[in-house]
This record gives sequence, structure tokens and C-alpha cells, in this order.
Amino acid sequence: MNQTPALHIEDLTVAFDSRPALWDVDLAVPEGVLMAIVGPNGAGKTTLIQAALDLIPRAAGTVRIFGEPVARARGLTGYVPQRGSVDWDFPTTVQDVVMMGLYGRLGWLRRPGADERQRTLQALEQIGIADLATRQISQLSGGQQQRTFLARALVQDARLYFMDEPFAAVDAITERAIVTLLQELRARGRTVVVVHHDLQSVPDYFDQVTLLNVEVIASGPTAEVYSEDNLRRTFGGRVAGIARLTEEAPP
Amino acid sequence: MSHAGSRNWRTVAALLALSLLAIPLGLALGNIRVDYTLVTVAAGGAVLGIVCGVLGSFAVLRQQSLLGDALSHAALPGVALAFLLAGRELGWLLAGAGIASWLGVLLINTLVRRTRLKQDAAMGIVLAAFFALGITLLTYIQSRNDASQAGLDQFIFGQAASIRRQDVLLISVVGLAAFVVLIALWKEFKLITFDPSFAQANGFPLRLLDVLLSTLIVVAIVLGLQLAGVVLMVGLLIAPAVAARQWTQQLDQMLVLAGIFGGLAGAGGSILSGMQQGLPTGPLIIVVAVAIVALSIALAPERGLLWRHWRQRRDRQRFTAQQVLQDIHRHALQHGDPQYPAPGGMLVTLRGPLARPALRHLQREGLLNASAGDDWKLSERGLERSQAAARNQFLWDRYRQFGEDLGLPSLAVDPQQPIDRLLPADAIARLEALD
Amino acid sequence: MATLEALLIDLLLRVTDLQQLNAILGDPQATALITGGLVAFAAALPGTFLLLRKLAMTADAISHTVLLGIVLTFLLLAALPGLEADLNSPWLILGAALAGVATVLLTDAIQRSGLVREDAALGLVFPLLFAIAIILISRLADDVHLDSDAVILGEIGVVWADARSHCLQDCQPLEITPDDPRAETGRRCTNCVELDIGPRDPAAEFEEYCLNCGSYTAAEAWRARLVPQAPTLVFWPRAITSMLLVALLNLAFIALFYKELKLGTFDPALAAALSLRPALLNTALMVLVSVTAVAAFDAVGSVLVVAFFIIPPATAWLLRDRLAHILLLAPAGGVLASLAGYEFSRGNFLGIAQMRDLLLMLDEAIGLDGFTEWNTSISAAIVLMMFLFFLLAWVFSPRQGLLLSLLQHRARQQHFAEQLLLGHVHHHQGTAEAASELAHAGLHQHMGWTPRKTQRVLARLRLRDMLQIEDGILQLTARGERSVRRFMALRGTSGASPAAGR
Repeated sequence: MNQTPALHIEDLTVAFDSRPALWDVDLAVPEGVLMAIVGPNGAGKTTLIQAALDLIPRAAGTVRIFGEPVARARGLTGYVPQRGSVDWDFPTTVQDVVMMGLYGRLGWLRRPGADERQRTLQALEQIGIADLATRQISQLSGGQQQRTFLARALVQDARLYFMDEPFAAVDAITERAIVTLLQELRARGRTVVVVHHDLQSVPDYFDQVTLLNVEVIASGPTAEVYSEDNLRRTFGGRVAGIARLTEEAPP
Repeated sequence: MSHAGSRNWRTVAALLALSLLAIPLGLALGNIRVDYTLVTVAAGGAVLGIVCGVLGSFAVLRQQSLLGDALSHAALPGVALAFLLAGRELGWLLAGAGIASWLGVLLINTLVRRTRLKQDAAMGIVLAAFFALGITLLTYIQSRNDASQAGLDQFIFGQAASIRRQDVLLISVVGLAAFVVLIALWKEFKLITFDPSFAQANGFPLRLLDVLLSTLIVVAIVLGLQLAGVVLMVGLLIAPAVAARQWTQQLDQMLVLAGIFGGLAGAGGSILSGMQQGLPTGPLIIVVAVAIVALSIALAPERGLLWRHWRQRRDRQRFTAQQVLQDIHRHALQHGDPQYPAPGGMLVTLRGPLARPALRHLQREGLLNASAGDDWKLSERGLERSQAAARNQFLWDRYRQFGEDLGLPSLAVDPQQPIDRLLPADAIARLEALD
Repeated sequence: MATLEALLIDLLLRVTDLQQLNAILGDPQATALITGGLVAFAAALPGTFLLLRKLAMTADAISHTVLLGIVLTFLLLAALPGLEADLNSPWLILGAALAGVATVLLTDAIQRSGLVREDAALGLVFPLLFAIAIILISRLADDVHLDSDAVILGEIGVVWADARSHCLQDCQPLEITPDDPRAETGRRCTNCVELDIGPRDPAAEFEEYCLNCGSYTAAEAWRARLVPQAPTLVFWPRAITSMLLVALLNLAFIALFYKELKLGTFDPALAAALSLRPALLNTALMVLVSVTAVAAFDAVGSVLVVAFFIIPPATAWLLRDRLAHILLLAPAGGVLASLAGYEFSRGNFLGIAQMRDLLLMLDEAIGLDGFTEWNTSISAAIVLMMFLFFLLAWVFSPRQGLLLSLLQHRARQQHFAEQLLLGHVHHHQGTAEAASELAHAGLHQHMGWTPRKTQRVLARLRLRDMLQIEDGILQLTARGERSVRRFMALRGTSGASPAAGR
């Protein structure tokens, strides 16, 4: 624990119209782990990611990424927003969208060249959609859209990734591809924070989990934290079969 | 670039050639005498149309078409005030229009953020209030009875003929400057239009870029006012972009095409209005521009209505062919002989008149053999194909029934898709092992 | 229409005398005032629902496209034998209503093709229909008394001129026959043309004929001095009648379908589930908008109508929350604004200032070359007053007002910051990291605030005895503890257990 955490959030409060969406959140994500953020609707999961990336104003608290303030760590972070947040009828191709991941690195006025194109194709290859490179994005299925976004995050070549519901409404093959990608990223020492909604798969996919309901209910290694008691405190009585979920968790 | 990309650039080039031909062709058909005035008017119209078409594309993509309507109305008091203070000098009039439009944007945004009013109401209020202020100022100007006031009315419905030669130069310079900004910040504008939060997460100053892009849209509106007028400006702003969107899937091609269409509409409308006294340019330009939209929606490859209709027909034929193949297979199985022929009449009764072309199609594909008369039987390949289809159908049925109990991943049930490509091999094996 | 007017005149004559009534109805200013008020009243009623259904721009589009309905109906009437083509024909209302509905349907169809988005579809349809109407008008300029100024602004100032005469007394129509003593006779040559000769030619033959025979209405008879007694006439402007009818129609519609409209506006899905036909009701609303727009067209033109629909309801909405209140307040505010606007057009700014004086001042200050004559379109002046009322409501509203929300916002932010700090202390009190987290010295870094803001919040909390500092470490007092618990309980989360799971 002497190592600087990849993401260190202290006393973070975010309020919309003086109504707290996040309250006094403390969170430390060590480097190289896959961390799931789990909680009921309206728990502030997406808000947490957006506040960590400085996309929305904070009422109080600090966020440090590898010990740096967010504005100075832009090159270290990658972001996969929710699929529904963009207009998929925008006139552009898969390859183009993926290349957008390199824009931040390119800086002002410079245009993507052969090198960028090469890296884009590599990312597409890695994520298994190289054949879709010149496809118009409106012709993609939900799973293909998600993989396009993942490829875009991949070319960002970040050390810390934030993914907002990447598993939402995707087909089995895409789900498997995402899991493989997450494991590859971990193998390369990258850190990934994922907003996740499928309680069942948490123990299988993630090393660590944060249970969030406006406040952090519990955070830490999945085996320790992902208990029936904590889930009940996060979701209230609203989740049927919580007991079954945690029984299946590996020790 | 890729194959698809270059094919699309060929489409763009073809449309450019067509547009360039349309003007002389129209002149010849309409028996219009080409003279110096006509050329000036047409050139002015074309330049303005190109600028509006290109920059208007962003208004369409950001779903701000009606904002364009509100802003063009909001420009009027700026025009009138600039005229009062500086006289009929185009540079000042444009500056006044730009500032007033900008105040309009500001007020709309503030109203939406600070009150319970929604975007549409805020736009309606700003549109009407600014326009009324403009009218009040114009009435005052008219009461002064200045000789030089002539030409202010053009801002209401547009008048290409009143654009002077030195005006064309100014317009070209402003338009060029806007294009330079657009090209320099191309990838940034593209990014904030497609995915603003990703742009922000990458450290781009979203607010600043947003303001810049809105300014470009305001520039387009302000320049276009002389051509289309405040009331109809929104048509000139968005019609070229909507038309261009139908022909291409790439942003750069869309902007080029929108420029071409805008230029065509601008020049065409200006020439038409030059032919008859007293007819304002705006309405004619709008009619030409919307005609281009209608043609594009009908004819554009892949997206267009005709194309879509044709594809649906083709799909129906394909489905019928699949069904007919399965019918023959099932019929044969019932008779215990995979080669057992099925009578064509029966298939037509079963699947309707599309069954005939389907049979011929299957025969061409080598999936069916016609035996004597109207009897059809499966070929080797046809048998393989229908067995695979039957197995796929069988797996889908099982998946639908037992998928959840087996804890298989959830899929949208679509028997047209090969299930063994959507599910991992072990899942297929579990489905097959069921009894 | 004529019957209704007669009824109204009868009613009005019980409260005023004939001379006064005719003076009012023949006065451009008074009629403008009445018409403007009626337009404002009639438009604010459906306008309230347009506002709440987010259809403001649709209303703007419709108020443009009714022009095409008017022009096409006019052309159709002119082409059909036996029908009179004039701009007062009731058929025009039907044509305009059809055009309004067509606008909505066409936009829907384009949008449903999936090729064009809703905003762009509307932005294509209404300019096209309006452009066609303008082109047609410019081709027909000789037959129709519409010009582009009238289209944009309306002619509320000349409403009085287009009036129908109503006779009240001495209304006998007159028939003059050749043997009537009042008949005048003349002679004319019967064969002059035939023989190509002058009337003085001896060969010319003559016959006598009646110069003024035929039928006369009472008014015509008096004007021709055929009757000694002047008939009692009232000249009733047509625009007032049609606007009044539309206002009554809107009122009746909203009174009848109030609950359906209300439910359909707030929860269309539920309305559909209760089989209240929200789609049909929506179409009816669009018809109402079209009819109102076309009736108001002569008075205020096509661009400014949207202000009459939207601004008074929007103003009312800033002041009131309940639909019924808005429906009462909006028409009243609209009528008031049209009164003020009418005065404004004559140079009287709310009784506070005279525009002439302002212009004189401006002339001295920046030089207007001596043009200080205030002259403006009445409809534009009314819209400006509506906007002014709206701005006033926005700034001073006790609910949504800028002033109030500025004050409240500050107070809320202060309160929130205090709760944040108390919550922070509560959270870390008694834990291992308390020494660093709660140290007075580095507090602002932990909160992510500026040192000044931190000190201000601290000072306020210490003053109210919620927080104390012991050995440089923050501590909640009993009062502070209670405040935290109350705040947590309000939010209804399990905030009571500190540092769970760590």
C-alpha cells in the first residue's frame, strides 16, 4: 500500500441543485486491478466516474490520478462513456470513431497520419472488429457499437480506464470479448474501473468491488467485500436472491 | 483510403458535375439571356449558398436546426441598429446582425438554464421578441425616409439582386476565414459534435470549442440573410446539409456535398428571382433547396426511399426462397426420401406468388433440380443447406425454451441468424445434448 | 356572422349610445386595441398547452404555413364558378386549418422515414410551404391585397376599414320605378350608333328612360338623397367578429376538454391507456392553433403570432405553478400587454415616459438628424410589451425569479457547505486517520476548497456552536452531531455508520 494508488478520491461530494448525488466518498484503487462499481439506480455510479474525470463540478473533495490532479493526468486516463450518450447516426465510420481516441494525444491543429491509422487498425484487430473498419456506425449492432468504443479506449493507451456500463445489453460474444480485454489490460498492469450492473458476474470478472449508494458502503477485494450483508445495505431489500449471488462467489 | 471511401468520393464528384451542368441547362431550357448582371447575381448567390451549406451542416448534426430559425430572426434588430449608426455598409450590418444573434443564443441558453422553460419556448420567445424589436427599428428608419434605406427590406425576404460587387468580396473573405477556422479545428469540431463528454475527458476545452462552433453557425446565418432573408433563412441553413447527409456516410464528404447543394440552390434561386421583378430571392432559393432534399431522400443510394424499397423487395424474395427450400425439404422428409419432388403448385399455394421467382432463383443457385413438369427436388447442396437451416431452427427453438434454465447468455431471438456464431461452442453443445 | 354582429350591437347599445358606438368602431385606434386584446386572449388559451407540450416552434411553423392555406383556398375559390373569391370568405379558415394539420402530418411523415430528424424536418417543411405561398402571392399581387409587409406584420391599424354595415332604423330598402315621383328621366338616342350620326342630326330618334331606377338598400337610398330620413347605421369591423368567434371557440374547447388536455399533456401514455385519444386531441389542438393563427393573420401577420401564443403563458408559468392559474393569468396578462403595447405604439411607454422625449434626448446625445417622430407597428409594440412583462416576471417572480433564486442559491450553498463540513468531521471522528483528516491546518486541502471558504464555513459553524477545535483537531459538538443526524435522516440513507467496510 506504499505505492501511489491509480485513483485516489477523498471526501468527494457532488450535488445537483444542493441535493447530493455523491456524499463524502473516499476511494482508493490500487494500480493493476479490475474494480467494479455496483449500486442501485440513482446511486451515483456514473456521477462518480464523471466527477473523477472532472466532467462535472465537485462540491467538495479531491481526486488524484497516480498522485496528480486530474487536469494534469489527462494523458493517463481512458474513458468509455455509455453507449447511448452519442448519436449513432453521425456520418462517420468505425475507424474514424476509434481514431478519436488519439485526438487528445495529437494536440491542437495536428491531423492523424499513417502512424495513427496503423494504431487504430491494431486496436480494431485486437478487439476483433477489424472487418468493420470502414463500416458506417449507424449500421452497427449494440455489441459492435460497444466494441468500437472499447477500441477507441484501447488506442488511448491509458494507465487508468473508466468504463460506464460496457456490459449493458450486449450479446454473449461481445461480453466475452470485453472480459478478455479486461484481463489483457490487467495483465499489462493497467487499472480499470467499471460501472457494472450484473451482480451475478461481479465475482467472476473483478478483483475489487465498490458498493455505492450515494455513499461508499464498502470497497475492497471482492472476496472480502462482496458479502450478503453489504449487498443488502447497498440495495436495501430490493434484490432477490442476494444470498445465492454471494454463495457462488469464490472464497 | 479504403474502397468504400473512394467510391463515395466518386459519388460526390458526380453530383458536383451534375450541379455544374444544371445551371447552364436551366438557362438554356428557360431561354434566359446571360449577361453581366446575371453572372454577378448568380456568383453572389453561389458563394453565399456554399458558405451556408457547409457551416449549416453542424447545425443539423448538433440537432439545432430550429435554433438557426430563432437566430436568423434575432439578427434583425442588429441589422437595423447598425444601419442607424453606420449607414448601409455591409460590414457593419453583418457585425450588427452577428452581435444580435449572439445575444439571442445567450438569452436562449440562460432561459433554458435558469427557468423552467424548455428550449422550444425559449426559442419562440427570443425569436418573436427580437424580431418585433427589429421591426420597430425598421419602421423608425422608414419614417426617416432616407433615400439609402432601400435595401434594408432585403433582410426580411432576401434579395440577391441588391448584393453589390464589393459585397461579394467581403462575403468571400468572411466565408474563407470561417472555412480556415473550420479546417484548422476539424478534428476538434468533429469530436465535440459526436461525443462531447469524451472530448472533455481528453482535456479539450468543451466550452470554448462550443462557442467557436456556434459562432461559425451564426456567421453562416448572418451572411445568408441577404440571400434568404430572416424568415426563410433556416431552410437555406439546413436543407443542403439534410440533402448531403443522404448521399454519404462521411463527415468530410457531407460538408463538401452540402457546399455544392447550397451553391446550386443559391445560384439557382438568385437567377430565378433576377428574371422577374418584385419576386424576393428567399422563397425561390428555399424551393430549389427543398427540391434537392426531396430528390436526395428519394434517390440516394443505401439510405434513399427507392433504394430501401428495392432492398425490402429483395429481402422478401430471399426469405421466400429460404422458406420454399425448407418446404421442399419437409415435404421430402414426410415421404421418407430426401430427393422426393414437391409440386410447384403446392408451394405457390403455401407461399404466395413470390414462390415462382424463388424457385427459379433456387434453381440458378444450384440448390434445386426441376424434374419432369412442375416438380422440384433438392440437389446435393440444397439438401446440405436445408439440413443446416433445420438444425439452426431446432437450436433456436431449444434456446428459446431452455436457454434461461441452462444459464446461457441472453440473446435477442432471431432465427435468421446462425446461432452457432452468436453462442460459444460449449453452449451449443449443451443445447444439443438436451433431451 | 351577421346575426352575431347584430346581437352584439343590440347588447352594446344598451350600455352606450349609437354615436359613441360608431365613433369607437370607426376609430382605427380603438379597433386596433379591441382586436389586439382579442388576439392576445384567444391565443393564450391554446398557447398554454403548446408551451407545456413543448410545441412552441410547431406553433411558429403553423402560423407560417396557414398562409399557404389561405392563398390556395383563394385560388380555388377564384377558379370555381359561383363562389366569390375574397379574403373574408369563411372557406379560408377551413383551408388554413387544413394547411396547419398538413404541416404537422408532413413533418411527422418525413421524420418517420428515419432519414431526417424532427427539428430538421420542421425546419424544412415550414420554410417550403411559406416560400410557395410568398411566390404565389407575388404572382397574384394584382388580385390579392396581400403584400409581404402585411404578411409579416399584419395590419391591425386598418381593421376598422373592413367593416360590414348594420342598419338599425329606417331600414326600408327602396325600389324606384319609372312612375315614382323621385324617378329622374333622361333621353337617349336610339339610332345614333347605328347610323353614325350625332344627336343633333335631324334623323336622330330618342326615347325616354329612367336614370335612377332599381333597388336601393336603406344606406344607399339615403346617400342618393332619395329618402329624407337618415337610416341608423353601425359599421362593424369584420376582424372583431372573427377574432371573437375564435376566442369563444378556444374557450369552449378548453372548458370542454380540460381534464383530457391536462392529462394528455402531463402523461400521454396514461391518457392513451384510459382511451382518451391523446393523438386526436393533439390534432384538435393543432386545428385550433391554425384557426387562431389565420383569424389573427390580418391583424398581426405570420411571424409575430408565436409571441401571442407563447409569451403570456410563459410569463404566467414563471409566476404560478398550477395549470388552472396559468390558464386564467395568461389571457389576462396578454390582454394587459396588448393594451400597454397599443399605448407604446403611440409613444407612451407604460405611462412612465414618452418615446418622443426619449428620441429628443437621443437626438441631442448622438444625433438622429432631427428625426424624432415615434412611429411603429402596433403588433410589434404589443409583442415588445409582452416580452417586457415576461422579463419583469422573470426577475421578480416570487417562485422562479432571478433575484430570489440568486439569494436562495447563496443561502442553500452556504447551508450545504456547512453540512458537508459537519459530515466530514462526523465521518472521520474517532477513526485512525482523524489526526490528518481533521487537522485544522490542512482542512481546506481535504475539502478541496479555498482556504478562505474553509475559514468562512468554519467560523459560521463555530459561531453556532456546532463545531469546536481542540488541539488543532476539529470536533463535533452535541448540536453539530444532532444536525448531521438530522441531515442524514432527511436523505434517508444509512449514513449513521461511519467508515463502513474499510
